[in-house]
Amino acid sequence: VTRVRRPSPQTLAVLEALADEPDRWRYGYDLCTQLGLPAGSVYPILMRLADRGLLETSWAVERGPARHLYRLTEAGREYATAHAVPLKPTPAKRAARPRIAGA
Amino acid sequence: MVVFVVLIVVVAVSVLTLRPNRHAGDAPAWIVVAATNHLPELRREWGRAMAAELTAIPGRAGRWRFAVGVLRVALFPPVRRRSRVLAVAGIGLAAAVALEVLAVNTVPNIAVFAGALGPLLAAYATLLAARSAQPSWAAAYAVVVGLGALGVLAAIAAVVRVAASHPAATTDPTHVYSIVLAVILVGYLAVAFAPRRRLRTLWWVVGAAAGFGAVSIGFALTAPVGPMGVGPEPALPVASVAVVIAAVGVGLTTHDRAAAVRAGLLTVALTAPAHVATDLLALLRVHQFTLTDPYDIAAYPHSGFPDVASYLLSDAISGEIISGLVLRPVILGLVAMVAATAATARSRIAAVP
Repeated sequence: VTRVRRPSPQTLAVLEALADEPDRWRYGYDLCTQLGLPAGSVYPILMRLADRGLLETSWAVERGPARHLYRLTEAGREYATAHAVPLKPTPAKRAARPRIAGA
Repeated sequence: MVVFVVLIVVVAVSVLTLRPNRHAGDAPAWIVVAATNHLPELRREWGRAMAAELTAIPGRAGRWRFAVGVLRVALFPPVRRRSRVLAVAGIGLAAAVALEVLAVNTVPNIAVFAGALGPLLAAYATLLAARSAQPSWAAAYAVVVGLGALGVLAAIAAVVRVAASHPAATTDPTHVYSIVLAVILVGYLAVAFAPRRRLRTLWWVVGAAAGFGAVSIGFALTAPVGPMGVGPEPALPVASVAVVIAAVGVGLTTHDRAAAVRAGLLTVALTAPAHVATDLLALLRVHQFTLTDPYDIAAYPHSGFPDVASYLLSDAISGEIISGLVLRPVILGLVAMVAATAATARSRIAAVP
């Protein structure tokens, strides 16, 4: 029997923020400011989600140094739905995203 | 007091000279770079991600908050294989209990030392299991770890031998020395086990530390025995030469002062416990201890020790903990810094436009 642990309220908040616009790539600091959570809480959550294949990451090449981007994978979206995080409908046209290096 | 001043100066010099990137920017940027450099290997990309993110954060307060968060992640990164970590913690705890039972039944005088050492080792092993996915066992790294572990084991074995042959010498009513010794030895072990990036430079450290070990052990086993032990003791000059060889060797081959200092400091860390072990081993060869120092002659009758040997060996152990594992390494660390600076001076002058 596999024990399924319920995600913490912070993890649910991060999932909800990511599920809000599932196609949009998000920056780590933007998630911190949106949720009012410190980086010391958000980044471990992002790491765990990525470890479990629920989050995909990419590097954005914009002005200045490349920055890391995050969005839910298909499995991540299913996980978010399974844990009662409402997913916003995906718009017909994919959201504009920064130029991605090694996506 | 002097010890604390020296330690503060050394730490300050180390921080100022060994920081990863002097041009990283403000204090939060430096904290983020330093913290992410210490993330486990499998989290390095996340470290780069957090460091890059800082560049987009405006405002001093926000940057400080972010830096503190990154520091927290570096100190307590998420554990990937929880079951493995729990298994290591369980085995470590069982081993610690077994060690304590063994100490209580065989050498009860060091029960507090064993009681501190076992849980500390278990905690450190758990930390290692939590921080690394698959440890990289490159040959040079494996030899460094082996030498470090051998030195610490030798120091522990020497203390146990003293406790077994002269139980009164290891009586520690306040338990302070026992706990401090356990903490320091685990600290040395942690330095030996710390992951390394420039593996080739480690061979300089291996050569220097192994050379020191061979000369010290040879001396401790063969030098003529006098009433106060064997002497004159060559271990400090030999250790200094070993540290200089490692620092200069790495400095000349890499032209990197920080790498040269690190090599010298690692040599210090590998040789210090071995140095203590050979000192005690040499002292244990003395069959008839005699008091020669006027202070000892006056103090011994009131010391409560049952014999001169226990009195002198007790003094030697506490001296080795303070001097051999703290003060001498600090002095050798300064030697490493000077040697590294001298070895890389030419390349730094050449680099100036």
